[in-house]
Amino acid sequence: MYMYLPIALTSVNYLVVVGLGLAVGLLSGLFGVGGGFLMTPLLMMIGIPPTIAAATDANQIVAASASGCFSHWRLGNVDAKMGILLTLGGFAGGAVGVQIIKILRAAGGADFLIKMTYVLMLGGVGSFMFFESLAALKKNKQAPAAKAAAAAPAKKGGFLSSLPLQTHFEKSGITQSAIVPLVLGVFVGVLAAIMGVGGGFIMVPVMIYLLRMPMHVVVGTGLFQVLFTCIEVTILQAHQNHTVDFFLALLLLIGSVFGAQIGTALGKKLHGDQLKILLAMIVLAVTVKIVLELVLEPSLLLAYAGGH
Amino acid sequence: MKTIMNRMKQWGAVAAALLGLIAFSASTSQALTAEVSPREVEITMSYHGAKLTISGQSAASDDLVLKISTEPRDTAMKRYGKAAGLVWMKNGTLEFKGVPGVYLLNTTADLQRILDDASLAEYRLGYEALGKAVSIEDLKGEPVDHDKWFDQFIRLKEKEAIYGIKEGTITRQHGENGNTFKIVVDWPYQAQPGTYKVELLAVNSGKVVDTAATSFEVKRVGTAAALSKMALEQSLLYGIMAVIVAVVAGFAVGAIFKKGGGAH
Repeated sequence: MYMYLPIALTSVNYLVVVGLGLAVGLLSGLFGVGGGFLMTPLLMMIGIPPTIAAATDANQIVAASASGCFSHWRLGNVDAKMGILLTLGGFAGGAVGVQIIKILRAAGGADFLIKMTYVLMLGGVGSFMFFESLAALKKNKQAPAAKAAAAAPAKKGGFLSSLPLQTHFEKSGITQSAIVPLVLGVFVGVLAAIMGVGGGFIMVPVMIYLLRMPMHVVVGTGLFQVLFTCIEVTILQAHQNHTVDFFLALLLLIGSVFGAQIGTALGKKLHGDQLKILLAMIVLAVTVKIVLELVLEPSLLLAYAGGH
Repeated sequence: MKTIMNRMKQWGAVAAALLGLIAFSASTSQALTAEVSPREVEITMSYHGAKLTISGQSAASDDLVLKISTEPRDTAMKRYGKAAGLVWMKNGTLEFKGVPGVYLLNTTADLQRILDDASLAEYRLGYEALGKAVSIEDLKGEPVDHDKWFDQFIRLKEKEAIYGIKEGTITRQHGENGNTFKIVVDWPYQAQPGTYKVELLAVNSGKVVDTAATSFEVKRVGTAAALSKMALEQSLLYGIMAVIVAVVAGFAVGAIFKKGGGAH
């Protein structure tokens, strides 16, 4: 029942860890997010040191997103062109974000600022998605066909269409300047680096509301982007900080690759707005949990260094 | 005897005073001995802690205190505080100077009853005595409420099972083989690989009258050892391997599900 983790230096019940992988992998397949914002705290709860929890989770997400991405690719849900632009932007943004955080840390009081940004961001994104998809679901009941038609065409004209490098994104069915996803990628990368998360839960709403991509393509493309980001993070963490526990990752990914498949299959049965409202509810639940942690006095006032 | 001599060296000045007492207790009854089994605790993949048996001989009239610990070291920890008077956050770092990595005590009776305060302090027995030997510094130079933070430190370490005081747990037998004692210690899996020292103190009339010491080692073996070595020495290769395994596993399971008709 127990397995010793040679890097984390602790012993875990492997059924629990595989179960965690399965649950978070399911969310990946369903929503196109990595799920790090859920997995890292869960790992810390079972006794994994924070730095190792975060780094190993990235390794696990590689497997879950590869699994989900593979299936979504076959379903024609991955906009690779869009995904590559967002990923490139994300890499650049991540590098900028790391520098910003160094400057903020040196100035002091950064952690408070970061935590507040995180809470506001999660709460804001979650609430917006919740109410938007709730309204859409209500409308949808009355006229499902009209809704589908209304959501499809991207906004034409104005500033965005005057930008150079206008590109047609076939899978998403939109025409957009290549600069737009690049810039949005940078934006998400900066935020993700500052908050110490993968950024899936920001990238997904960005694709839905700013790039106006269809929900199922958002999920497939989100997984594509998460896959490449987490490959980079895993190698960097293993090389520079020695914080990737391969055995822990292995246990997690045994669960998550299957979870991602189940999530993908389940996602096919759900409407885009149903997916959105579910994701919104999870994001809001995480927000509430973080707010409670901030407001209630911790049972222990000491902790090991690391983590976010 | 060799182990007794080692102990002597560590306590320098105290040694001279103790020698007389040891000679006294040895001549009136029997020598104090302590053996730990196994001497090497191997961390394999299925490791979930171990059972350590510590046994030996002691004078019938003495009480016993067994301490398993490491050399004192300095440890930095994050502390929670109220940021902006509103929210609880990790907003400071405390350095605990001179704390053992592991601190497990077992005795034949209540520490407070069998030892006087001076002896408790001298041998750092009990959290109160240990706390007095530890200094806590705030890295920003702010004043530290020593008792509050040392108490938090103990609570954290007890939660991890690497600190603990169990009184009255050592069992003794008086028979043909002389006066023997034995205790089985649940060795916590949370304790990191390393060398641990085992100190046995014989106590009489509030004072330590004899000591014996031994040690054991906890180390990773087999796959666990090879993997941790690779993670440190060939970290880039290790990272790439971790990624390749993850990608292959992901694609493989994706392909299996496709075959199984999971996708249309």
